[in-house]
Amino acid sequence: MLRTTALAASIGLLGTMAHADTLTFYTAGPGGLADALAEAFEAETGITVNVFQASTGQVMARLEAEEANPQADVVVSASWGSAEEMHARGLLMEYTSAHAETVPDFLKHSHYAAQGVSALAMVWNSQSDVPRPEEWSDLTDEVYRDLVTMPDPSQSGAAFDLVAGLEAAMGDDAWDLLAALADNDMIVPGPNAAALNPVLQGAKAVVFGAVDYISYGQAASGESIEVISPASGTVIAPRPMMILESTANADSARAFVDFVLSDAGQALVAQTYLMPARTDVEGLRPGINDLTIIDVDADAATARRDEIIARFNETVINR
Amino acid sequence: MFKRKPLPMLRAQSVLTTLAAVALLVLVGLPVVFILLQAVFPDFARGSFAGAFSKLAILTENDRLLMQARNTLMLAFSVMFGCLVFGLPVGVLRGLFHVPGARIWDVVFLIPFLIPPFIAAIAWMMTLQPRGYLFQLLGFDLGGFLFSFTGVAFVMTLNLFPLVYFAVSRALEMVGGRFASAARVHGARPVQAFFLITLPLSIPAIAASLLIVFAMSIEEFGTPAALAARTGFDVLVTGIYTRLSDWPIDMSGAALGSTMLMAMVLAAFALQNWIATRRSYISQTGKPADLEKTDLGAWRWPVIGVFSLVALIGVVIPLAAIAVTSLTGTISGGLAWSNLDTRHYVPLFQKGSRATQALITSGWLAVVTAFATAVIGGLVAYIVVRGTGRGRAIMDGLSVLPNAIPAIVLAVGIILAWNSPFLPLTLYGTAGILLIAYIGILLPYPIRYAVARLRQISGSLDDAARVAGATQMGSLRHITLPLMAPSLIAAMMLVFAIASRELVASIMLAPAGLRTVGTFVFAQFEQGSVQTGMAMSMVAITITSGILLVVNLWLARQGSSAFSG
Repeated sequence: MLRTTALAASIGLLGTMAHADTLTFYTAGPGGLADALAEAFEAETGITVNVFQASTGQVMARLEAEEANPQADVVVSASWGSAEEMHARGLLMEYTSAHAETVPDFLKHSHYAAQGVSALAMVWNSQSDVPRPEEWSDLTDEVYRDLVTMPDPSQSGAAFDLVAGLEAAMGDDAWDLLAALADNDMIVPGPNAAALNPVLQGAKAVVFGAVDYISYGQAASGESIEVISPASGTVIAPRPMMILESTANADSARAFVDFVLSDAGQALVAQTYLMPARTDVEGLRPGINDLTIIDVDADAATARRDEIIARFNETVINR
Repeated sequence: MFKRKPLPMLRAQSVLTTLAAVALLVLVGLPVVFILLQAVFPDFARGSFAGAFSKLAILTENDRLLMQARNTLMLAFSVMFGCLVFGLPVGVLRGLFHVPGARIWDVVFLIPFLIPPFIAAIAWMMTLQPRGYLFQLLGFDLGGFLFSFTGVAFVMTLNLFPLVYFAVSRALEMVGGRFASAARVHGARPVQAFFLITLPLSIPAIAASLLIVFAMSIEEFGTPAALAARTGFDVLVTGIYTRLSDWPIDMSGAALGSTMLMAMVLAAFALQNWIATRRSYISQTGKPADLEKTDLGAWRWPVIGVFSLVALIGVVIPLAAIAVTSLTGTISGGLAWSNLDTRHYVPLFQKGSRATQALITSGWLAVVTAFATAVIGGLVAYIVVRGTGRGRAIMDGLSVLPNAIPAIVLAVGIILAWNSPFLPLTLYGTAGILLIAYIGILLPYPIRYAVARLRQISGSLDDAARVAGATQMGSLRHITLPLMAPSLIAAMMLVFAIASRELVASIMLAPAGLRTVGTFVFAQFEQGSVQTGMAMSMVAITITSGILLVVNLWLARQGSSAFSG
């Protein structure tokens, strides 16, 4: 009897999962944004969007595991390099949305375009007893001893981009800076949230290289933190949106990409404190033109990923 | 004439054996085969058999993998020790004495299983780290303790000690009264009777629970992920996770690490099996059991004190930290009345919200998993202990499999196996795949609990029933099953509790659009909404413990209990 019930339950569920007009959307955060986009798109077109939201690493892991039998139609990752690699392997469908006209050239490609953009910044707890830092290098000062955290570049694509960017801008000085931070007892507790959480409660005072939009959102909800973008330059992390070549729902997938880049879709992007990909849509925080941006060759950085991670681990984590 | 009679019985047993074997092979064997294939053929996931064994060099060249293996073992042994310290005394007291509020304590000690380990670790972090809740209340912090090897082992112990509590208390209830009385009649003092009779007879149950503690601590992901990274303390499972979730993905490395984990659990199982089978522990002969427990007398209050202390550290503090965090407006605002705010609960109760969907999904998944694992696990255990001939030997080997496989490894194996392009029909991409994963991951509970229990039930009860004319199925139904039921029900409650907040397999396997409590909470934390994640945990813990409490009270009214013999 019990087994019959179990079987009936799972079969019943099979039925409900197999809708005709559905789109499968794999995305790196923010989770609220993915849901909001899915709901608005469904309201407009009647097409159901099934969202899988996780970190970039998890999204990519899932895509790779499913490679023999791909499930996703549209994918958003938080790492530009991942889109380049997928394109190089011929996994992406060519598509340029009509709405992509005002997306700057460096944020689009024949096969993918940015959904939104975040930047890397310092996040400082203004209730901590330490002064407000202005520059990356300030954090090597004795007053910040044992009070700095940094996301792990091997787990956070954005933190990796920062390390690669600092190296591009400063050469070997970047590694001296990281070594000095390590000497100042900076900790590398894991992905973004793990680096930010101790700073929120005050166990630590500053994040070196946090993804900025999450912190803007938290500051807006009343947390006593401030997002600081160093004048010497920072790195941006565009979030590429792509359609998989294997999709069986190409029309719906194109419609979804169009929707994300439409006025309504970009407004939803802006509400999460990301920079909208389109320059003609207003953001809720400083935009690309307000920041000093370090130019990183994502291709070259991706190619050297293992080497950069190894050097980071040697310099900071296992020093 | 003489030959015809045994046939139907043999047939019944071989049908059962086949059914159970097929279930085990599909749920657990298949994923393992695919993982082993992946370990050997690096491009197997892409359907290629090229480059066989080319990745095995990692094993010898990678010091990191060996260091992770060493750390994993050290941690597992520390957690086992910790669980004995935390779980054994309360388990012994609960099993032998009339502890006031016994049923309440049972439900209280189930709560650690309802708290997602990842969230428990965050809760301890927010309590003990510099400027955490402890500091805000008392002016000092224990960050140095928490972010250390001991700290990680401490938090994991608090997640797992109930396994020992339940196993020990149940086993002692069974052997305590009558055997101890017999010993006393022969002149043993109570303490002698305990150490010479009761404790040794409970060894299979204790060893079984320690094996599960061992298996769970080497596969535990949430706590090391939240805490160990702060200490530079790497374990195998975080290494496997990194290999699987860091792009580019290293399937072969993960498969190799998984093979090492499996080898460890298999070794532990062999040891446990040796302990459990080298002597007979039959204590249930069908004679009316004397379940009278000893009154505590003057020890009543000290015992309540011990239970309260364990509950305070293991349940109250982490639960309070979760509750308090979920009720603070901002984290940086800290413990202040002005910071009290229920806004993080609001999105959870909106009709049709993702949170509600997640609760419903996890609810039915946990219920179905509990029943399915009990059926399959009970069957497997019955065949392992009572079966004869070839079926038994095969099943004995297969029954170890679920234990030997960390959840994350099984999840990857399931992706590889069920997402193969050659399958005409697949559950992959539906909720059914989560069910398969949950059942595979949680099968060890019913199997181990029921095996340990069956070893204490004398086979002569079956024989007596058969002599009295019952068929094998009849004696199974009327004799063995009722005697196994308490263990199976206890295992079901554990399975329900763990399945209701399962994380790792859910992250890997939940189809797009489907959310569980675990993935919802994890995503909230990853997105920076710590309080919403904590609020969801509170809601889920409250609902689940409420259900378990009701079930337990109902069982009590039926004259039985999930946690007593």
